[in-house]
Amino acid sequence: MKNSEIEQRLRQEAKALLEQGKVDYIVGYEAGSLKFTTTPLITRNKDDVERLIVSPFIVNNLSVYLAEIKGRVGIAAKGCDSRSIVNLMQDNKIAREDVVIMGIPCPGLIDLKKIELLLGKDRDELDSVTRDNDRAVITIDGKEKDFPMAEVLFDNCLECEFPVPRESDVLLGEPCALVTGEVSKKTGIKELEAMPRRERWNYWKEEFSRCIRCYACRNVCPACFCQRCFVEESEPQWVSPTPKWQDNLMFQVTRNIHVAGRCTDCGECERACPMNIPLRSLAKKMYDIVDELFQYKAGTDKNASPLLTAYEAIEAEDFIR
Amino acid sequence: MNQESEWKPRILGFLCRWCSYAGADLAGTSRKKYPANIEIIRVPCSGRVDPLFIIKALRLGFDGVLVSGCHPGDCHYQTGNYRARRRMAITKKFLEYIGVEPQRIQASWVSASEGGKFAEVVTKVTKELKEIEPNRLFDDEE
Amino acid sequence: MSASKKISKKDIVKILSQWNQEFAVLVPSKEGDVTRMARWDGKDTGFMDSHRNTVQPVKANFFPPMEEMFSFQKNKEGYHIELASPDEHKLLIFAIRPCDANALAILDMAFKDGYEDPYYLSRRKGTVLIGLGCTNPYGSCFCTSMGGSPFDSTNVDIMLTDIGNEFLIEEITEAGKELVARTEELEEAKKTDEAKAKQVKETSYNKVTRKIDTRDIDKKLLASFENKDYWEKVSAKCISCGICTFLCPTCYCFDINDDLLKKQGARFRSWDSCAFPVYTRMPMENPRVEKWRRVRQKVCHKFEFFPMSFGSIACVGCGRCIRLCPVNWDITQTIESVPEIT
Repeated sequence: MKNSEIEQRLRQEAKALLEQGKVDYIVGYEAGSLKFTTTPLITRNKDDVERLIVSPFIVNNLSVYLAEIKGRVGIAAKGCDSRSIVNLMQDNKIAREDVVIMGIPCPGLIDLKKIELLLGKDRDELDSVTRDNDRAVITIDGKEKDFPMAEVLFDNCLECEFPVPRESDVLLGEPCALVTGEVSKKTGIKELEAMPRRERWNYWKEEFSRCIRCYACRNVCPACFCQRCFVEESEPQWVSPTPKWQDNLMFQVTRNIHVAGRCTDCGECERACPMNIPLRSLAKKMYDIVDELFQYKAGTDKNASPLLTAYEAIEAEDFIR
Repeated sequence: MNQESEWKPRILGFLCRWCSYAGADLAGTSRKKYPANIEIIRVPCSGRVDPLFIIKALRLGFDGVLVSGCHPGDCHYQTGNYRARRRMAITKKFLEYIGVEPQRIQASWVSASEGGKFAEVVTKVTKELKEIEPNRLFDDEE
Repeated sequence: MSASKKISKKDIVKILSQWNQEFAVLVPSKEGDVTRMARWDGKDTGFMDSHRNTVQPVKANFFPPMEEMFSFQKNKEGYHIELASPDEHKLLIFAIRPCDANALAILDMAFKDGYEDPYYLSRRKGTVLIGLGCTNPYGSCFCTSMGGSPFDSTNVDIMLTDIGNEFLIEEITEAGKELVARTEELEEAKKTDEAKAKQVKETSYNKVTRKIDTRDIDKKLLASFENKDYWEKVSAKCISCGICTFLCPTCYCFDINDDLLKKQGARFRSWDSCAFPVYTRMPMENPRVEKWRRVRQKVCHKFEFFPMSFGSIACVGCGRCIRLCPVNWDITQTIESVPEIT
């Protein structure tokens, strides 16, 4: 189904929800202030729904706003986002009846950073970027170039298992095919696991020397909704606010463990990081560990107990004396 | 050379108050011999242990961390040790992935009557840690 | 300013090597795909390909993300304190953009106000700024609305214009003039070079399409201060991370923490952000618990309070906050939407 059709249905649905008083807020995407960029739209006003859009660049995981909005929300959600929403329900952070999920089946989002690297140009130097089935067509200076979609999709989209929202009140489009491909990063999880232990540690030491502790990774994450994060505790002070690599690494590693079983690999942490730290090489590994040990994937069953509250009588005993 | 062989690994132990801590006590009163290089923090339950503590311990320079609780099914708070088990499992695997030696993260079930077992656990953990080097993971290069 | 000299791009290593004898030369560098000003290694010319501003602002070279203030050790007599020694080298920053240079002028005011910050000022002293005008501004740039322009030379010692195979030199300050005088291997500029430079500047100026009107913005913000509905709408999508403030070349808030390990430690200062919920947390209360208050504070600080105290809006239009915000929150949209005074 074309984005424009999904977009029309989204606008109709959102408007109806507000008009019928079924929700207090609509949360979706609208055109951003930079080329191709989209930005969250949070509104109570039914006239604003005309600004809602669906495009290959609707990157934000909007469920991050659910924990703070007071009222009922009609929310646009891609596959990964819908799982984050289910997560929040499992954690009793939101009630099912307070959310109307407008599901958007997602064939993967285009990573503008990848295109910029492929072309050696910044996004505002491109005329257009469009999806044509399994190819991405980019116009620059009037000339067209195309690439296989697999080369320009986000890494986590290439590994997506749930492109169609499993939990939704209305599905705005038809289920779409997955595009798979090789994850393009130089040091993905496989590469890191092949490294000797010392080298792996030094790799992370290097990467986290760039971290400035902006906490964008934490704040874009829907699973991080603690009123007071452990990094903000001063008595005792677990992690120094000073961005030394030791504390930066400690922060990120602990954060990943804290969100284990609630992370849906939406990829926002890595996208948001202004220092290009490969955070998904940590988050996805945790995701895989959780799947391997407990056959659990976050946000796929709203009636399931959260990973770290559930237990079996006998499990994961092999390392315990 | 001499200094290295004299090196005693520093272990931080989180022992649950109802089982493992009592077991450690029993090891003491029974005069069981075990390495004295373990520093113990008593927690109400092994389920109190946040993986944050384990990472903090490594950050502070401890060579190894031991979390010990009641046997599954015997937790004083019913389910605390089940939570600990899941947390420890993922913590251990995750830390190994980023480059921490697996020997540094240890766990055990020690009941209040298992003084002997506690002594054995600490002895075995110490031995495993002596086979790897002192924890310099978080050191700054000089 | 009439130009008399130019640097041929093929001679760049020769020129920088001379300057490297006298100064610590910083050039645009890449680390993990993130661009910033870093010490030139003596031979790299990769930075010649970068046509745009760095991700990390130049403030980081004077006011770094973290810096040690002093270290201390406890011994038998008591505490032994050692102040962090200032970097002995004078800095020469090559290819600083006009917006970042203008930002340093704003930071200078803040770091001299009431208390002269020794850490920042010791680095600032004797710094030579070699400006490079922007021939390819980002879509997020709006320097022309903030009293600057892609070739604004107000706060640089030398202004360079990329005219193809050469950089045309304009000497702006006495320090810049003297530096040019003692630099060898410079070429003589031709009249055609100046004409070309003029054209380049005009074209670049017109490429900055993002514009805002800041007339009376301080009065407008003052009038809207209590307008909770407006600020709640404006702040709704902000996620309260520190990206905009950390990567802003004019933001200067910092936190001070001690790192202690048994008998020794060090005191560090590090970047802090008014966007963080805990920024104003105090024992009794936190006056900015609500997000809308924090967003309001950030906008008002830059466009109302700072001008009130120092006579200048604390924004140079570099656009980093817009480009790097994970949710594309846009300060220019906010400024344009501040209600008119009725």
